[in-house]
Amino acid sequence: MQQGTGASETEVTWEDQQNINKFGRLNNRLHELEDEIKVAKETIDNLEDASNELILTDEEVVRFQIGEVFAHVPKEEVETRIEEMKEVSSKNLEKLEEEKESVVGQMAELKKVLYGKFKDSINLEED
Amino acid sequence: MAAAASSSSTESPKTTTERRGIPGAQFVEDVETYLSQTGLDVNSALGFLQERLQQYKLVEMKLLAQQRDLQAKIPDIEKCLDVVATLQAKKGTGEALIADFEVSEGIYSRARIEDNDSVCLWLGANVMLEYSCEEATSLLQKNLENAKASLEVLIADLQFLRDQVTITQVTIARVYNWDVHQRRIRQTATSSTAKDS
Repeated sequence: MQQGTGASETEVTWEDQQNINKFGRLNNRLHELEDEIKVAKETIDNLEDASNELILTDEEVVRFQIGEVFAHVPKEEVETRIEEMKEVSSKNLEKLEEEKESVVGQMAELKKVLYGKFKDSINLEED
Repeated sequence: MAAAASSSSTESPKTTTERRGIPGAQFVEDVETYLSQTGLDVNSALGFLQERLQQYKLVEMKLLAQQRDLQAKIPDIEKCLDVVATLQAKKGTGEALIADFEVSEGIYSRARIEDNDSVCLWLGANVMLEYSCEEATSLLQKNLENAKASLEVLIADLQFLRDQVTITQVTIARVYNWDVHQRRIRQTATSSTAKDS
């Protein structure tokens, strides 16, 4: 994102500066959110794979990773744990998606305001 | 809002003083006044602003590294809490916990963890202390909260810093454009006087 004022004499007020700052902050937050959403989706996929494997296996005791070690845990307990982890992950993903929507909305608003005032003198697109 | 981080923001919202050692970027109302106030010509002003920008970038890299460290530390602490909680849960049942752990890369061994009341926590600097399960949980919990709080402060610092970077970039652009504008005016003035004479 670059800012540039053209040959026109459009003055930059403190309010404009604050809007530009806010847009920059939102843009950064958007990138962070996109990364976090990617990680959350991967986690959910892994948990899905794990629970599918569980259904297929006929072992009674499963080695479940807790911290850095693999504890021997009975199959039912592992199933319950994985279900809980899936719940937590999907709630987390939902929250992240919601925040992303709100950020995108705010950025669209700010774009309207800033392009309205500065027209060509400002560039708010991804480079 | 980043302005809330500075105490002077209520009187003069245009200049945020420094925050934890990071100098605030002065917002320029009018380029001409700014240049006459600082007594700098355009090139020196641009040079000064560019230097400030470099300093900000350096601090940003440092803060980003700290943020990465903290973001790695937090899941670690959560994993430890998980293990202690599992041990505590097993305590009631009377059966031992069997776990496979890594002895060396790719080599695992089986351990049988009997019922016990204490765990040892690695505190860093080659120091390990034994704690009861409850003490361990509360210590780990406290560390986790401290780490999360530090991370929040760090993120706020980064936001403040990025705002100052943005303000400085905009000021550089405006000073440069003002200069271009001035040159154009001077050029049209000299060319019109040349035409007259």
